[in-house]
Amino acid sequence: MQDHISRRLALKHFGLIAAGLAAACTPARVLVNAYPQTFDDDPELVDRVLRAFVTTVIPGAAADDPDLVRALTDPDYPFAQFAAFFAADLTRRGERRFGEPAFERLTPDQRAAVIRDGLEADATTRKMYNGAVTLAQVAFYAGIYDAQRGCALIGFEGGYHWHPLSEITYPDPALFLAAALTPDGNAA
Amino acid sequence: MKTIQTDVLVIGTGFGAAAPALRLAQAGAKVVMIEKGPRVQTADFRQTSDPKYVLKYLKGTPGDNLKLTYAEALGGGSGFYEMISLRAPSLAFEQLDDDGRLLWPADVDRRSLDPYYDLAERMLHVSQIPVEEIPKTGLVFAHLMRNLGYSVDRCRYAVRGCQGSGFCVTGCVYGAKQSLFLNYLPQAVSAGAEIETDLEALAIEPLPARWRVGAPLRDVPYRYRVTARRRTGERELVAFVARVVILGGGTVGTAKLLLASRPYLPKLSEHVGRHIAYNGSVKVAALLPDGVPDADMFTGRTHPGMVSYQFLGSHGITVHAVKAMPLMLVSAAHLRLRDEPQAAFWGAPNVELMKQLRHRMIILDAFGLTPPGAALQVRAGDARVALPITAQLRVYHAETKRILESILVRNGCRLVETDFLDKTFMPRQGIQFSTAHQVGSCRMADAKEHGVVDASGAVFDYPGLYVSDGSAIPSSLAVNTSLTILANAERIAAGLIERYRLPLPGGSQAQAA
Repeated sequence: MQDHISRRLALKHFGLIAAGLAAACTPARVLVNAYPQTFDDDPELVDRVLRAFVTTVIPGAAADDPDLVRALTDPDYPFAQFAAFFAADLTRRGERRFGEPAFERLTPDQRAAVIRDGLEADATTRKMYNGAVTLAQVAFYAGIYDAQRGCALIGFEGGYHWHPLSEITYPDPALFLAAALTPDGNAA
Repeated sequence: MKTIQTDVLVIGTGFGAAAPALRLAQAGAKVVMIEKGPRVQTADFRQTSDPKYVLKYLKGTPGDNLKLTYAEALGGGSGFYEMISLRAPSLAFEQLDDDGRLLWPADVDRRSLDPYYDLAERMLHVSQIPVEEIPKTGLVFAHLMRNLGYSVDRCRYAVRGCQGSGFCVTGCVYGAKQSLFLNYLPQAVSAGAEIETDLEALAIEPLPARWRVGAPLRDVPYRYRVTARRRTGERELVAFVARVVILGGGTVGTAKLLLASRPYLPKLSEHVGRHIAYNGSVKVAALLPDGVPDADMFTGRTHPGMVSYQFLGSHGITVHAVKAMPLMLVSAAHLRLRDEPQAAFWGAPNVELMKQLRHRMIILDAFGLTPPGAALQVRAGDARVALPITAQLRVYHAETKRILESILVRNGCRLVETDFLDKTFMPRQGIQFSTAHQVGSCRMADAKEHGVVDASGAVFDYPGLYVSDGSAIPSSLAVNTSLTILANAERIAAGLIERYRLPLPGGSQAQAA
């Protein structure tokens, strides 16, 4: 697990983003007040919550995949600085809505409802949830941490898999082709 | 500060820079090329979806309604392009501006460029894709067009021995794609040129000098000093003093450099950074109906082999299918089926859609002769591009989208909504274009009141300073731009050899003529 930045720094970053958004945003302080210290102190708690989040966003993704939530906490990507806050926000919303203090113990439908809440909340929160969903999808479908692995769920093999020509094309291309306008592929 | 003297300094190593460097070196001039990006070769490339690898080489210029992508590495974009090498149609050279004036200089058109296209094609081994190598997605695209009675042509590529890995855009690990570091650049080095990478040009200053008009290169004094800085290590400054300076750093790089140099070059045209054209790419996605064979988004060359000129004459667009790796697709757009508007861009409905991506999704893309309406703005060294969305552009976008959707719907496809994303992954509102085909920020024109350089690439009012890259191309082309940039650079190189009375190198303008 990567080194977590300090809570103070996370709040500062979050505040900077919030400051740049529309005045209609819920004040960052309201959200920030619901950020328990335990999410900075317990990386395993954050990992559990984020795994429950990603498997809700991508049903069918293996919950025990070692790379499943890596992008969300990878210090090379900006989201990492919000990971603990984000996990706390998922937890807070889940408890408020369903009375369950552990996000990962919610049913898949309940978790999806929590994520929808975040995606429909104020502009700052929407941006954070939207970024988390998309980053999780990019990392999972593209297989960004293992060049050769790809993503079996969508049939993406990743790199370094050679295919014979017979697998790349069809044996009877003339059946597909339309009339050509040019003799050599260049328009006049 | 270390100072290096040379006859010719070429800034950049991409399509616009490589030809003048090679031809002038072959003609006996002392040539130095400087490249901002790192030195790369085939062995450096990886078939990976790791964004850190991709972003090491591919850079973006953000902006309002338009996003530009370009490469920073030896060979410029040639390491990462889809190797499509098409000549611009004659129609592209006949475009007019709002005042009814030809965008291209009077002497430059398809006919005058054809000999240089020939030369560039020979250098890059360009040929039409054989029928038996067309990837499945290209065949399915052709099938959809044929169903409607439309034409489709086999595309042309700069490749030898394509392995069909599908990773053209991360660099060809087989050395099959004809990147410039496989042909022009090593030949330039063999002819005596020197290439320095990791070196960013910062400013161009004219030197006090007098010379006789029409003098041969050996009699021309050193006329420009270019200050550059290493991008790694001690970041030391290096000065180059040259008789001739050729700017080939691309549409963004060349304009940025000239704008940064304006304090030293006060007579520069006011058009620097303006009039950027971008091939107005419009994309539409859909799921194939039952009965249509599978496409394949992930195998075969990245560009799927076919292009349609069906709507070129009527609408100024070419149409082709697109293959996209998951990294590029998912980071660029949220996908939803149009007939399921309540479905989220995540969760089970999205997974089901993604499962169909490889074999059942088709993406059509149109390139159009959109006017050169974008402008570069540079503040504190950071560039942004601004494109006002005019009424004309709205009509173009709507009509082009309608044509693409019509092709798909009339074939029974289910349309997929693509909500394009900004760099924070938030959906962008309104019309958004993105491209790697930006040209025109220092465009050629018949007079300084309309452009930055003349038809020979010479910067107005600054003898010995030339622009030979995409920034000199004054219009959209409706096809990929690399071959036209290269052909125009060959033409400019031939003019330089004639102008500076250098001996004809074998195989350059002699062949072109």
